Amino acid sequence: MTRPVSALAAVIAAAGLLAAWELAAWLAGIDGFPPASRALAQIPRILTDGEALLDIAASVQRMAVGFVLGVAAAVPIGLTMGRSRHVAAFFNPLLMMIYPVPKAALMPIIMLWLGVGDASKTLVIFLGVTLPVIYHSYQGSRAVEQKMLWSAAAMGMGGLSRLVRIVLPAALPEILVGCRTGLVLALITMVTSEMIARQAGLGNILFNALDMAQYDTVYAMIVIVGVLGFVLDAAFERLRARLVAWAAPSHAIIAGTT
Amino acid sequence: MIAIEAVSKTFETEKRRRLPALCDISLAVAAGEFVSILGPSGCGKSTLLYIVGGFVAPSAGAVTVNGQRVTGPSPDRGPVFQEFALFPWKTVLGNVMYGLQRQGVARQQALARARELIAMVHLAGYENLYPKELSGGMKQRVAIARTLAYRPSILLMDEPFGALDAHTRTRLQNDLLDIWERDRKTVLFVTHSVEEAVFLSDRVVTMTRAPGRLKQIIAIDLPRPRSRAALLLDRRFQDYVVGIERLMDSADSGAPA
Amino acid sequence: MRARSGIATVVLIGALPIALIVGVWHVLAATGMAPPSLLPAPSAVAARLVQQWSSPAYLEHAASTLLRLFAGFGIAVIAGIAIGVAVTASRWVGATVTPLVRVLAPVPKIALYPAFILTLGFGDASKIALVVADAVFPILLATAQGTAAVEPKLAWSAQAAGASRWRCLLTVVLPAALPSVLTGCRIGLVISCIVVFLAEMITSTDGLGHLLVRAARSFQTVDMFVPLITISLLGLLLNAGFNAVRRRLLAGFPETTE
Repeated sequence: MTRPVSALAAVIAAAGLLAAWELAAWLAGIDGFPPASRALAQIPRILTDGEALLDIAASVQRMAVGFVLGVAAAVPIGLTMGRSRHVAAFFNPLLMMIYPVPKAALMPIIMLWLGVGDASKTLVIFLGVTLPVIYHSYQGSRAVEQKMLWSAAAMGMGGLSRLVRIVLPAALPEILVGCRTGLVLALITMVTSEMIARQAGLGNILFNALDMAQYDTVYAMIVIVGVLGFVLDAAFERLRARLVAWAAPSHAIIAGTT
Repeated sequence: MIAIEAVSKTFETEKRRRLPALCDISLAVAAGEFVSILGPSGCGKSTLLYIVGGFVAPSAGAVTVNGQRVTGPSPDRGPVFQEFALFPWKTVLGNVMYGLQRQGVARQQALARARELIAMVHLAGYENLYPKELSGGMKQRVAIARTLAYRPSILLMDEPFGALDAHTRTRLQNDLLDIWERDRKTVLFVTHSVEEAVFLSDRVVTMTRAPGRLKQIIAIDLPRPRSRAALLLDRRFQDYVVGIERLMDSADSGAPA
Repeated sequence: MRARSGIATVVLIGALPIALIVGVWHVLAATGMAPPSLLPAPSAVAARLVQQWSSPAYLEHAASTLLRLFAGFGIAVIAGIAIGVAVTASRWVGATVTPLVRVLAPVPKIALYPAFILTLGFGDASKIALVVADAVFPILLATAQGTAAVEPKLAWSAQAAGASRWRCLLTVVLPAALPSVLTGCRIGLVISCIVVFLAEMITSTDGLGHLLVRAARSFQTVDMFVPLITISLLGLLLNAGFNAVRRRLLAGFPETTE
């Protein structure tokens, strides 16, 4: 598990999953579990339907905004926590309390305050992203060699400039691990909040199809969300590998949920 | 008793490059003999020991012990590693008991034998401590007791004192010789310290830089039981050490250390 | 030396932001800047919390949540550890499972929930299945990575002492990987906590998540806060319990910073 998986192996694995699904569905023979071939046949229809496409685009846009804002807020907090025991002591208990709260579950309350529009959904995604990014930035910043900072101070660097020019790059590999988890979480929070709010977006299409007993569409949407998750993660991993080619490879546990 | 016959080992790196580590090594070790393998770091001397242990398979050649071909580890050949390799979740007693339990020794007998061994390595009273609570020297004593527990006839020692400070190192060398004098197990001892090799061994096997080949085998004709203080003043001991150091240096013509 | 007073300061600093939030919340509610229908006073929430915690009906809801949580988490622990060890132990299993995990880990498991509903029904089974699907990956990955990273000389020492391959795997490799395995399990536990709540929010007739949705539908704002605070405290409690177990199990291991 420590070696990277080749693209070919991933394709074979995906094909194997689809084949297993097809076979299991034929054997089970129930309405609620159509074979892969029938679900996949629905995908072109969904992706050419203008309305659905707009819905999905709006979802992805909210996700992107929530993710970028979340990272922008979380990295400075995490980095300062790592360099100051007092700042860490300030934030740690609060973060520990927020950790087990499902962020998407805040949706009903936030909707009460901000309405059912983009603001609520983006805020929930923002909340989902911040925690893992803060955590990993904190770990990365804490692990920065003290002697490296002493050398920087000896060269006349001030506190802020040390944080930006020494701690940030040194902690970058770990920060990006957090961002990767955060990205998966953004997608999960997005889908989940749409399932709960049931107003627009991918999660809504998914459950509308369930309500209308369009089982092929339900499974097609599951595949679309799954592929979206895989592609986002793989693309980010590629970016990460390029940005921190100098660092030892990391094998972070992808722990994703809101 | 141990016969190493034309053993070679080549490692394959991730990018399919082949790295030769050992080249055509043949060596016979008699029962009850104490043999040291001496060589610069990276010469494959530890790999040779792992092959004799059955932990690593040779690329060519074979090792036989008492006429039996080595295909895997066996309680007949007990390893002692530089890294101690103690089980961190077991106490001193638990570590020493492990091998006895695997051998199916009854609990009462195993306990008695373990306590006896712990006393022999001067750790009586430390039975219930975890390895993390011990110093490096104490950890290595536990590791030696753990290996002696299942009564191997051969000890395979992989730079066992390499991670210890100079003082602890000499004390453990003396203790090892004391233990060895009692039942004269066969010992294969890997080290990069010339003095250690000469002090402990009946024969010293020197190896070249990677890929490791046998260079020369020197019989150490010094009386036993040996005392460190006496040997340090002994002209013959000094001659062995200086001679072997010169021999090792001559191999390194070329790259500076 | 500084332990006693140091800890007191840390606790005090940590309590600060929580007190601050409750304070601001109190002022907002007390001054009427936020109407009670949007933000009830903290005292009202606290009173309701105490009342609910002594109500058998509420506790029954909490019990069904806990039952699903433990069932799902338990299955995930057993499956995750078993598969994780097998990945390290057998080249064949590793080559099969690793690409599958690579494909499935970044997929938002919540999207599978409709499929679980369709195949397993609206009852406990589909919720437990979702918890398993979400919690199993961090445990599996942590176990596979932990067992693969075990110093080979530990296993050699056991094999030389006469341990068979399986014996060695169970009595040496798995215990040696325990710190990593338990880290995976702790992540899995928090994920279980979160997922079970979300599943209950999406479709359920009981459980804490259901209570939140029911309160939201009838605009009972106070009752929306109660299950959220309960799940947060439940998460903290489970985490603390888990850490106590972890400390006992890892008594011999060197301290790690977590």
